[in-house]
Amino acid sequence: MSLKNKRSSVKKSVSFSDDNTLTRNNLKKHVDHDNPPVYVRRTTLTVPWHIFALLYYYIYISNSYDTVALLYLLIPLQITYLVFQFNKSTVYGKKLLKIKLPLVLISLCATLLLTIPTTVIIILFGAPLIEKLFETWLLSLHLCFLAYPAVYQVFNGDFKVGLWKRYFVMIVVGAWTSCIVIPLDWDRYWQTWPIPVVVGGYLGALVGYSIGAFI
Amino acid sequence: MLRQIITLLLAQFVAIFIFCCGFFPQKNVLKGNADFIIESSIQTQSKPVFDKFVLIVVDALRSDFVFEESISNFKFVHSLINDGEAWGFTAYSNPPTVTLPRLKGITTGSTPNFLDAILNVAEDDSSSNLKEQDSWLKQFVRQGKKMRFFGDDTWLKLFPLDFFQEYEGTNSFFVSDFEQVDLNVTRHLPHQLETQKDWDVLILHYLGLDHIGHKGGARSVFMPGKHAEMDSIVKNIYENVDENTLVCVMGDHGMNEVGNHGGSSPGETSSALVMISKKLKQFQPPLHQRDVHLPITTQFQDGEVNYDYLTKVQQVDFVPTLAALFNIPIPKNNVGIIIPDFLQLLDSKMAAIKVKDNFNQLASLLGRTLEVKNESINEEFEQMKDLQEVLTKSATNYKYPILAAGFGLLTVLTAVALWYGISIMQLSKSSLLTIVLSLLLGIATFSSSFVEEEHQIWWWVITGALLLSQLYLRKALGLHFVCFVCVRLIRGWNNSGQKYTYDNTIFELLKANPGVQWYLNILTIFTVGLGGSLGDRLSFILSFSLCALCGSYKISWAIVNREDVPFWMQELAFKSCLFFTKEHTNPEEVFGKALVPMAQFFFKYFIACLVVKISASKIGVCKANLFSMLSILLMFQSPTANIPLFFIFEVLRAALSRLFTDYYGSNTYFVSLSSLLLQYFTFYQFGGTNSIASIDLSNAYNGVPENYNIYLVGFMMFVSNFAPTIYWSLYKSTIPRPESRKWILYAEQKIPFLIFNCVVGVFLLIACYVFRFHLFIWSVFSPKLCYFVSWNIFMNIIIECGLESIVWAVGN
Repeated sequence: MSLKNKRSSVKKSVSFSDDNTLTRNNLKKHVDHDNPPVYVRRTTLTVPWHIFALLYYYIYISNSYDTVALLYLLIPLQITYLVFQFNKSTVYGKKLLKIKLPLVLISLCATLLLTIPTTVIIILFGAPLIEKLFETWLLSLHLCFLAYPAVYQVFNGDFKVGLWKRYFVMIVVGAWTSCIVIPLDWDRYWQTWPIPVVVGGYLGALVGYSIGAFI
Repeated sequence: MLRQIITLLLAQFVAIFIFCCGFFPQKNVLKGNADFIIESSIQTQSKPVFDKFVLIVVDALRSDFVFEESISNFKFVHSLINDGEAWGFTAYSNPPTVTLPRLKGITTGSTPNFLDAILNVAEDDSSSNLKEQDSWLKQFVRQGKKMRFFGDDTWLKLFPLDFFQEYEGTNSFFVSDFEQVDLNVTRHLPHQLETQKDWDVLILHYLGLDHIGHKGGARSVFMPGKHAEMDSIVKNIYENVDENTLVCVMGDHGMNEVGNHGGSSPGETSSALVMISKKLKQFQPPLHQRDVHLPITTQFQDGEVNYDYLTKVQQVDFVPTLAALFNIPIPKNNVGIIIPDFLQLLDSKMAAIKVKDNFNQLASLLGRTLEVKNESINEEFEQMKDLQEVLTKSATNYKYPILAAGFGLLTVLTAVALWYGISIMQLSKSSLLTIVLSLLLGIATFSSSFVEEEHQIWWWVITGALLLSQLYLRKALGLHFVCFVCVRLIRGWNNSGQKYTYDNTIFELLKANPGVQWYLNILTIFTVGLGGSLGDRLSFILSFSLCALCGSYKISWAIVNREDVPFWMQELAFKSCLFFTKEHTNPEEVFGKALVPMAQFFFKYFIACLVVKISASKIGVCKANLFSMLSILLMFQSPTANIPLFFIFEVLRAALSRLFTDYYGSNTYFVSLSSLLLQYFTFYQFGGTNSIASIDLSNAYNGVPENYNIYLVGFMMFVSNFAPTIYWSLYKSTIPRPESRKWILYAEQKIPFLIFNCVVGVFLLIACYVFRFHLFIWSVFSPKLCYFVSWNIFMNIIIECGLESIVWAVGN
């Protein structure tokens, strides 16, 4: 019973704003033991090398930009990245938290669900509504699974989104910037929807995970 | 401050105008008339192949209108081609594909000058006269042939009237008339065919088909009937002339699927050319016509029609061919090559001479002298093709000192504007955004694809700006979401640019569901029109009556143009139409006749309302809400399926207004920047592009009777094409503001516009200079420059400085 009470009290403090998140900057001034400070260590460990490899695979090896095959490669690699790199750089209070398998699975499902609002957002950003809906959903899958480590940490850190927002933002900015090549009259295959935006999202994620701890 | 800004604005316009004077110069043409060059004595003595010529120019006759199965209804012409009594060609018309430059091409054989495209609109111009230039008409006159002309009066502006023994011009600018304009030409035909002995050359120019295209597109319901009408005219002429008469049916240019023309898309440049004579049966038809049965089923290439049917020739090739067949010298400025298939009509010796003559004439245009070689005819044709290519490319010469003067002035002004603007705006977020935006758009002018697809950049910037605002504020998620949905709907409304066309645009969906469209239209007209005038009785009455009038005019207009309208709306519109016409019985007549007086009444009533409202607000009887009243005028001038856009505009405006007042402290520069973004964004999503082809003429003639005023039509054309832009320009005045600082705010809001226009202008002028010999100069960069100039005159001077200051002066 007491356990139940405790949980519900945790639930009450759920917040999506930045206010409650303690980062390295205000670490010393204010120490709250109920809400231990969370931050990402500034190491090269967070550099997502697998995204380099995936981009190389997508552009040079895969058969005419096989976006589906890329997704199959992305999901396991992102999980590995989370377990061995990203989670190991994330500090809660003064310790590293062990990876929680149920949470890994829950956040996988959540990421999958997240693709639906993401598809809506991509359409709001100008993707065709009726034509190429599958391609748009595929793109949103890519973008969401790129954000997967951050999604896991959002769950892990009691929904304190503030610290993790920058990772989402970097992916969005990367995807948004890459749109610029679509109207060019070069008539290349890679200008077709959604290839440039997939690449842009990957680049955004690459930059985001590499320097996310430094901003 | 206001005075300085307006001075800068005007000076900037002057600078661009100077540049344009040097950039669109007159082409250098050779004066004087051509004579036979090779073996002139033999040539003068020989007899021509034909001795009578009938030219039927059908405006905007695209190649597939004559040859293609699904669209063509020229049954008689098909049978002639199948019998070998007519030879069909697809003639490439050099852009700009509008009537005046094309007529110059058809008659002189020269490539057009871009300025002609603009002069085509500004008709009362004498500089485009061909009095001094050599043409086949002139050569016919020199030979003492008698010519008669009936049709488009552009010909009568081009040529001295004494060329023609008899003539009658019809006006090409009254687009809404499909029938009378052609009947006025055809009614002369019986008499002319009876008195064939009295003339040698008969020229007819029909405009109806072009008018149908402008109103209803290439597949309009009026098209098959018009094809049949033209076909019967060809039949009538063909059956009444002898075998020494050459009949030629041709389009001066084509049209795109929407029915507009001016650019360089395949549809616009592919016009039909059919040479008809009883004599042709004795000869072998051109290679590509031999095993073909007309009408031809469509040739698809990558899912797109390429409009290539039968033999492909240049339209200017018509000129030397005609000269050869009628044994007249080839006009001096001709860049065409004799169509080889017609050489068999001449005897072999004569054919060789004619080809040499053509060769020589082309070479002399380039300033080269003929290297006399005894080459085979085929080799000569190859060489002539090379010459033609060189000649069509180097058609203009630029006046460099004037270019430099204009550019120099603008650069200085830009430096001043930047210095002045930043000294007022300070180094703030808004000034940074303004400069980034200006540089982005400026650099984009160097890429022909970004000029063609400029709407993509604006869309990209708009989404980026909303994203940035959301990330910056972190609050107001709901407001940003509403804005996003609104801009996405606007984005989905129309196609713009040339690269991608979606079939499922909201515009098309509404066209397919007229019921929905009309309920939305009526809803929009009344909600937008009555916005803000609900509180007091006088403004309500004025706005309500204007809305009702606007709605019933739009419905009547749609009925006349055979769009579907819900029945009860038809009845209401019918009743209102009865006020404006004496006709009472035939509904079609009632609508047709009531349209012009109704629109005229609307404009007069609108001005009256405006005056009443301004004076009433001065004495404090009612609120001075000019914005919603002006919106009614803008909706009146918009295409019917675009009217619901104004509803979305209204929602977006409300959301933005909240956003700016609640979160940005009504920052005047942010308001100004948002206005700038939305002006351009909605201009493109309203269906506009940077191509002359997409200028919409369908609402330029609202309330215009037969004897119209060119300036009025021009003004209305601007209003209908810039309707959304005007809306978003005036939107600045609806953001709440302290009344005391009104004029300072007004001036401050002009600064981002000034910086933007100056910086983009400098880049655009550099781009035009750098690409002056580029393939796309006439189809991409020059039209962009024209849009830039008209944006400057119309939006920046007339609307932003004129109309907007009135709205500000009256106040809210």
